[in-house]
Formats: sequence, C-alpha cells, structure tokens
Amino acid sequence: MNDLVDVSLQVNGVRYDVAIRPWRTLLEVLRETLGMTGTKRSCGEGQCGTCSVLIDGEVVNACLYLAIEAQGKEIETIEGRPEGEPVLQQIQRSFAEKGAVQCGFCTPGMVIATKALLGDNPQPSEDEIREALVGHLCRCTGYVQIVEAIQDAASRLARERLR
Amino acid sequence: MTYLRRLPKFEYVGPRTLTEVCSLISGGAPDDAMLLAGGTDAILQMRRRERVPRRVIGLKGVAELDFVREQADGGLSIGAMTTLHSLLSAPAIRQRYAILHETAAQIGGPELRNIATIGGNIAGALPCADLPPALMTLDAQIKLSSHRGERWMPLRDFFPEFGRTVAQDDELLSEIKLPRPAPYSAGTYLKFHDRQSMDMTVVGVGAFVVLDDDGRTVRELRLAYANGAPTVFRAMKAEAVLCGQLFGEKVLDAVAEAACSESSPRTSWRANAGYRLSLIRALTKRAIRRSWQSASSQKGTK
Repeated sequence: MNDLVDVSLQVNGVRYDVAIRPWRTLLEVLRETLGMTGTKRSCGEGQCGTCSVLIDGEVVNACLYLAIEAQGKEIETIEGRPEGEPVLQQIQRSFAEKGAVQCGFCTPGMVIATKALLGDNPQPSEDEIREALVGHLCRCTGYVQIVEAIQDAASRLARERLR
Repeated sequence: MTYLRRLPKFEYVGPRTLTEVCSLISGGAPDDAMLLAGGTDAILQMRRRERVPRRVIGLKGVAELDFVREQADGGLSIGAMTTLHSLLSAPAIRQRYAILHETAAQIGGPELRNIATIGGNIAGALPCADLPPALMTLDAQIKLSSHRGERWMPLRDFFPEFGRTVAQDDELLSEIKLPRPAPYSAGTYLKFHDRQSMDMTVVGVGAFVVLDDDGRTVRELRLAYANGAPTVFRAMKAEAVLCGQLFGEKVLDAVAEAACSESSPRTSWRANAGYRLSLIRALTKRAIRRSWQSASSQKGTK
C-alpha cells in the first residue's frame, strides 16, 4: 500500500497541499506536518479540549478528527489568519488581562472555544459560558478568571461592534 | 500511554453517496472494513487497538444522510449522519421530542456534539450509549440500507448482544424514524454519572408515559435502559405493570422491582452491579414520576 495521500487543507485562510497518511488525525497533521504547535495535545480522547480547532466555524476536538476528512473545510486554529484576527486578538487580550492564563497549556483550546461561543451567542450568561466550556480542563483550576475573561471579551467585542 | 498512540494503519475511502457506501460494503467483510461516522468512539477504539480495520469507510462526506425532516404523517425522520449538535438545533426535536433534545444535551460537550452522530451512537452498539434508550422510548424505527435494498425494523430489536447489532455485514444504518407523539404524553431521560458533564453513563433510564384521555390513567409506558444490561434494552415486563393503571407510588414500586429483575448490569471500576441496580430502582421511579407529571399537566392544553 502506498501510504501517502495528497490532500489539500485550508487552514486560517491559507491553502496547504500536503501528502499525509490516512490514519493521521488533524491534530497530528497541524502540529507535525504544518508545524502549527499552538494547538495542544493532551488527553487524546476528547476529554480535555486542548486540541480544539474550528471546522467550518464549529469547535471540534482535532485529536478525534481524521485530517483526510477535513479536506474542503475551513479550519481555524489558535495561530489565526496571517493578517491578524481582531476577535481572536481581543479574546487573547482579555485572557491576559483577567489573569485567565497560568501555565497556559489549556489556553489555546479555551480561546478557540470562546471564539465559537461568541460567534453563536455574543452575550452569553455565566451559565452559558460554563456550559460551553464543559469539554475543557484547566489543571491550574483557574476557571473563575477564565469565565471573567470571556465576559470581558464579550462586552468589549460588543462595544467594538457599536462603534 | 494509550492516549499517545497513533491510529493503526488503514486505507481510507470517502464515498459521497449512500449508493457508493452500499456498493463499498456489498462484499461484507466484517473486520476488514469499518464504517466511520463521527468517530468519537471509533477513533478511540482504534487507538486502543480494539478495532484494527484494514480499510476505513468515512461517512462524513455523505450529505444525503444528514437531515432532520418532518413527515406528512406527523412523524420525524432523521438521517444517520446528523450530528448531536444538529439534533439540538432542530426546532421540531426541541418542541415535539423533548426527551431526545434533553438526552443529546447531556452527551459530552460542544466539541464532541459537533462531531458525534446519532447513527454512530446507535450503531456502535455500546450499552452505555444514551440516545438508543431515549429513542426506544419514542418507539423509533430504523432503516438498514444495502445494495440489496432497504428494510425497516424497531430499534428495540437492533441489539442482540453486547457490541453487536442485527445488521448484516453489507448493511448500514441510514435513517431513524420517530412516530408522531401521542396527546398527553411525555418522557424524560435520566443519566446518572459522576461529574454531571463529560462523563460516561453509570446508568441511564428513559421513561415515556402516554395517558388516556382522562389525563390520569396510564395507557402506555415505555422504559429503556443504558448500562442496565450488556445491551440497551426495553423493560417490557416492567412497562406492563403500569399499563391501564392509575399512577401511584405503590404501583411505581412494583414497576421498579420488575425493571430490576429484567436488568443484569455489570460490575466495573465505575460501579458494581448492586449499586447499578439501586440506581435503576430509584431512577425508574423518578423518571416515571416526572414523565407522568409533565404528561398530565398537558391536560386541557390540547
């Protein structure tokens, strides 16, 4: 069997033509083939959320998604578009300012999940925020600050839109 | 360190239509080829080497299996590749099949619900799956498609033993159909798990009550269990205990006892069999009480 398969992946608005093995997960291809190590690998079974990316705007666990099945879809990672992404940047600023980052390992997944949440629901309640983050673990247990950061990002982005 | 292992090697095929899928599996080699729906269970099974297929047939590209459609007869038809997220966003499910909405919302988090599918949750044939008990209490029918044609069967007859379905090797689960909900009817699914989110079910109890026109007598009761036995199952003897009866705590005890004697839960590190039986006893009563309350409160509203 000739293992390598040519696939074309659209990541952060850039097209990458790569030869991959069909059993590689999207997480492995992002980190190892494309060198985008912002998306983290941890539990490998969909419990921790550190590997979260957006596929066609929906947040998914990249460790449970075959890269070959992500062809033809729009993939967004924590690296963001080369030209910069105001929403992602605001969420990151809010995380930094509100002390929502301790060791930082869970942060990329949390930020990506926040982007998906605020896309669907620009003014989420605290319960809705916690519900959106059930699939994310922070082992420094800084959840209160993370919720505050998301509330801060939501209100700043709302003000931004009014302007 | 299972979680760091890569997936076993396989060849990947990505059909675009149901006809293509049927012809790919028409040879019917069981372990050789594996159908991959959302993959939230199957990828883990491969990572643990519980399944080592030579060929994976990915179904994510089969758009015709992704739909939620209201039927002319008042029922609802759901494509097997519909994600749990799509189930949750379908107004017809929220309004008319609340138990299904309630159940899907209790599975995983957004990341998993955006990938996991209703068909995968059923066809994986795991006793801990949450959608099959909820769907069984709704009297769901399922469609099996193959190159030979298609056939319909009740979901409650789909699981002959642990990890297996009665589908032939050349068949796939393609559609789920729910009958029109009866007046004065309601159900609930109680999922017992340790962390209240992102956790495997210890015991899950689905109950669905249909009342007579008097709004008090139970015309029909349907009970189905996750992790109550090696497969998800309907406890039909327990159901019969309450049929034609007025609702009351005494008869409820009898139903719960009957449900326990129909169950055969296993002991695992998660919970031992005795504990699971206690859960079945308590949750059966709680689920019927809640369903009865909400069905009887519909009196006068229809």
